[in-house]
Parts: sequence; structure tokens; C-alpha cells
Amino acid sequence: MDSVYVIGRDAVPSLVRLGSGESLKMTLVVPEGESCKLELEIELDGPGASLDLAGASMSGGSEQVNIKVTVRHNVPGCRSEQLFKSVAGGQARVSFDGLVYVAHGAVRTVAHQQNHSLLLSGEALVESRPQLEIYADDVECSHGATTGYLNPEELFYMRSRGIPEDVARAMQVEAFLAPVLSRAGEGGQL
Amino acid sequence: MDDGLLSELAGRQEYSQGFVTDVEQFYVPKGLDADIIRRISAIKQEPSWLLDFRLDAFAKWQRMKEPHWGHLKLPRIDYQDIIYYAAPKKDSDRPKEIDPALMETFEKLGIPLKEREVLAGVKGREVAVDAVFDSVSVATTFRKTLADKGIIFCSFSEAVRDYPELVRKYLASVVPAGDNFFAALNSAVFSDGSFCYVPKGVECPMELSSYFRINAAGTGQFERTLIVADEGAKLSYMEGCTAPMRDEHQLHAAVVEIVVEKDADVKYSTVQNWYPGDAEGRGGILNLVTKRGLCRGEGSHLSWTQVETGSAVTWKYPSTVLLGDYSSSEFYSVAMTNNYQQADTGTKMIHIGRGTRSRIVSKGISAGHSENSYRGLVRVNPGAAGARNFSQCDSLLIGSDCGAHTFPVIVNRCPQAVVEHEATTSKISDDQLFYCGQRGISPEDATALIVGGYAKEVLSRLPMEFAVEARRLLSVSLEGAVG
Repeated sequence: MDSVYVIGRDAVPSLVRLGSGESLKMTLVVPEGESCKLELEIELDGPGASLDLAGASMSGGSEQVNIKVTVRHNVPGCRSEQLFKSVAGGQARVSFDGLVYVAHGAVRTVAHQQNHSLLLSGEALVESRPQLEIYADDVECSHGATTGYLNPEELFYMRSRGIPEDVARAMQVEAFLAPVLSRAGEGGQL
Repeated sequence: MDDGLLSELAGRQEYSQGFVTDVEQFYVPKGLDADIIRRISAIKQEPSWLLDFRLDAFAKWQRMKEPHWGHLKLPRIDYQDIIYYAAPKKDSDRPKEIDPALMETFEKLGIPLKEREVLAGVKGREVAVDAVFDSVSVATTFRKTLADKGIIFCSFSEAVRDYPELVRKYLASVVPAGDNFFAALNSAVFSDGSFCYVPKGVECPMELSSYFRINAAGTGQFERTLIVADEGAKLSYMEGCTAPMRDEHQLHAAVVEIVVEKDADVKYSTVQNWYPGDAEGRGGILNLVTKRGLCRGEGSHLSWTQVETGSAVTWKYPSTVLLGDYSSSEFYSVAMTNNYQQADTGTKMIHIGRGTRSRIVSKGISAGHSENSYRGLVRVNPGAAGARNFSQCDSLLIGSDCGAHTFPVIVNRCPQAVVEHEATTSKISDDQLFYCGQRGISPEDATALIVGGYAKEVLSRLPMEFAVEARRLLSVSLEGAVG
């Protein structure tokens, strides 16, 4: 199953259960100007279930974007991949709260979670809370989180080749979000 | 591994510091109210400003609630069932000689209190020690050598008596009395601890060390440590802790404050080996500690290194406030839990000044039925342009009944700052054990070997004396963990 949700246009389910062998590819997009308080829980209930979840948010005004994702590995041998990218400019407040829970006995779990943010203004705020709660020993789990800003050297490179500053910045942001947006764009749903 | 060998291993696993010293003790009555605080203050002959500070903290504490946000099952603590002050009885007010029984205790623990041993070259490098037994400091060594350089290293009570203006200036300047529940409790009833002041431009010629020992039953230890490094000063400070084996929980609520002025450099190392409780989770120390440093001046530097192997419950987040421009801080931690131990530990890095840098390396190891959590905060304020943080938090699970958790929080408000965090969870793989087994290394030794390698990045930061002890502690804590 491959589904794309644009916040403000589509209703996002709050709970998804994946049974044995099921796989889900899900992409969430929070467009500019959209505030949201999103809570999503995904339960991996059957062996061999797999989840590929990605999300992107663009905020440049006074948006408040709160995304909370809980992924529960309840049985052995499931897999989950998460990638969340957000850009915060203006006075936007963007928070990501992601929990990967591996239940007792859910061995051979593979779970990866990434959250990357770009901060474009001194009045914006980015909060990231990637969390791992693990009760089984034979697992491969990791998470990574970064927050940063547009690389000034990249900007200089593009400007020295005649690209106007605002266009160059837009390109940088686009490139940053591309790994998520390309998933949404393929089906022409955006 | 067969059961016989396992039980033998479990039998061998012991807490070698679990003995009790039989010295005559003086106690204040059980319980906590303003009168007890007045009494403690009177025993210590404190000035009135300090009593006011205590009473104010007590009033704050009464309005506060015990925190339960940690990933811990904290046993119920009856604060009226604790003796807040216990001290070895002294023949006179200021004994010239240390009680031989106490001397023996610290000898058993391997803490050299006699300077001549070191001078005679029996022990290797020089380390100045402040030994705290229950509620009082019993001895501080090498005072004269340090005093020649203008360095003050003494017990907290003496500092209050001899350097009141310094204590008054810095006390609670990093951890305010009402900071949190346990810090407020400590501020109200703190007994003794170490005070250290290194003046401008002085590099401390030896390691400074505090050794904390809980001995009396039914008591808690509430020590307070205050370290001040003035402009350009440099020092390395080590802290160690042990307690007897008892069936009941004992409370340890300490506060450590560190002030680092311009261009000063402080290294703070802890090897925490409080009694962890027995294999069924009975007894053990509740280690609820507030440690915080303030990098006040430009270019100041504070480094935390901790090895946590003991305590039934650990609740501890050594933190740094990076106020001065271009100040920097590091946090290196190994937390090992076995049996029914619980640890919720980590750090906070608050970036306020420009160009501030911090680095976090945390290694958690859980075995048995234990729970081990990393909890951290990296906060970058709007003015901290050029700030940089890197955090790495790894967890290692040994056995299928333990838990390993990572709860980091990143709050960034500065568009010229970079924060990176990564965490992994893994176990000792069967392949690794098989490889070692093929070469004749037993599962126990192989585990110790792999854990040693895993923790090496942190252990290598410890001063030499502590690194040896920490390595030994890790392997002792691991015994019986592999099956």
C-alpha cells in the first residue's frame, strides 16, 4: 500500500495496524501556511510487517506544526523506517515527537528513525524528541536527529554562478526536502 | 552455560565494599522539620545567613512534589523516616588523629589518607583526598601543598567557617535552592562535602578527590560540593562513592555546583559505586543527584566523565550552562545496570554564548532485569550563533529481560547553530561470542572484553587511578549477566 496525505486536504488515520506480512508506505506532507497537531500510531502486530514512513513540513509564517508518531513493534521480525524533514522560517514552531517502542520478545526488529530540520530564522523554533524504548535484546535500532541551517558555502557557489540569492535559497530548501517530496510527487498527487 | 556454573558465578558476584564500620556515631533524631534543620545548623555552628538559606530551601521543598517523570519505578520514600545527620563521635572538637576504625575503612576502600605513604612513594601519583563519612568530612589531605599555591581544598563546613564570603558568593549560584525537589531537600539539610577554589591563573598541581561513604543505617547522605575555578585556573576533580550492603533503601541526594570563569578548565570525574541492592532487587542506594556547571567566562571549559555502576536507582543529569562566548563542554558517560537496577541518566547542554560547543558520548549497558535510560537536552538559544553540538548515545543489551531507552530532546532557536544526535541499540552478537569461544575465551571474559571495548571511548577519559577501578567495576557488575 502506498499512500500520500497532504495535511489540510486529507484526513490522516490516527491508528494503523499492520498484520502478518503487510507492508505500508506512507508519506505525510505539511504544506506552507498549514498548522497542525498530528498524532499517528502504527502498530506492527504480525511477523514480517514492514513500515516505510516519511514526512515533510514547510513553514515560513507563524505556523505551529506538531507531529507525534508512535511506532510499536509488538511481534518479532518487523521492520520500520522513518524519515521526517522540516523547514522552519518566520515565527514557525515545529516539533517532532517520535517514539519507537520494541516490546519484550519482539526480537529481530529492525527500526530506523531520522528527523532533520532546517532553521531559517532567528524567531523560529525547532524541537526534536526522537525516542527509543526497547525491551528486547536481539534488535537493530537507531535514530538520528539534526538541526541546522542553509550552508553558506553552497549559497556562495550558486551566487557566484549568477543564481539570485532567493532562487538559490529556494533550491537549497527544495534539495533538503527532496527525499520526502519525491515520494509524494511521483503519483502526481501534489 | 549450565546452571551450576551460573549459580557459582552468581555466588561469586559480590559487592566488596559492602562492609559496615563499627564506630560510635552521633545522630540527630529521625524526621525532618524546621527544628531539625536548626539543630543541624547549630551542630555545625553555622552563621545565620546559612541557616536562613536552609530554612528558605525547606519552605520551598515543602511546596514541591517528588518528581516522577523519569523512566523509573521509584520506591516510596518516607522523608520523616530518615536520619538527616550522622557523624562519628569525636573525643574532642578537633581531633589531631583520625579514628583508627575510620582510617581502616578508607584503607579497605583503597583511599590513601596518609600523605606520607604517597611521599614515601608507596602510592604512585599524588592525589589530594577529602573523605566524607556519613555527614561529616573526616580528613582532607595535602592541604599545605595546595595552600602554597593559593588553592583552597577543604570540607564544606570548614569553608563556611574560614571563607564565608567565597561560599556566600558562589553557593546556589548554579543550582538555586528551589531548582528541583531533591536539590531543595539537599539545600535544606546538606551536611558536608567538599569546597574547592583555584585562584586566578593557577594550575592545580595534583588531582583533587572526594570520597563519599555512607555507613550508618537509616540515614541519608546529603553532601554538597562547590568548585570554583577562577580566571585561567585549571583543575581535575574525582569523586568516588560506596556504601554498606543493607536490605533497606538509603537516600543519597547530593548537589554539585561548578563555576568556571574565563579561560578556566575543569575536569570532573565520577566513579559511582553505591551499593546496588542484591540480585533480587532488595535494598540499595537511591541516588538522586543534581550536578551542574556554569561556564561563565569566555573560553571556559568543563568536562564531565562518569562511570555509573552502583545504586538501585540513579537519577542524575550532570549539566552545563554555556554562558560565556566560545565556552565548551563535554559529557562522557558509561552507565551499567544489572539485576533490578534502574538508571535514568544523561545530561543537559544549554548553549547561550556565541560559538559554544558541546559533545555528548553516552554508553548504556543493561543486563539482567534492569532498566537503563539516557535522557538529555540540548538547547540552543537565539543568541548562540555558531553553536555546535554532537551527541552519540549507544545502548547495549545483555539478555532479553532488560530495557534500554533513549529520550533526547533538542530545542534549537538559532539559525546559525548545528545540532546532531544519533543513537543505536545493539546486543553482543552470537558471532562475537562464538569467535571468542573458538579462541578459548569464556563467555564471561568475552563479554567483559566486548563491553570494555564498547566503553573504551569514555574510560580513556578518566584519570589513571579511576580508569583502573572503573574497568574492574564494570567486569564485576557484569558477572552472572551472561547465560
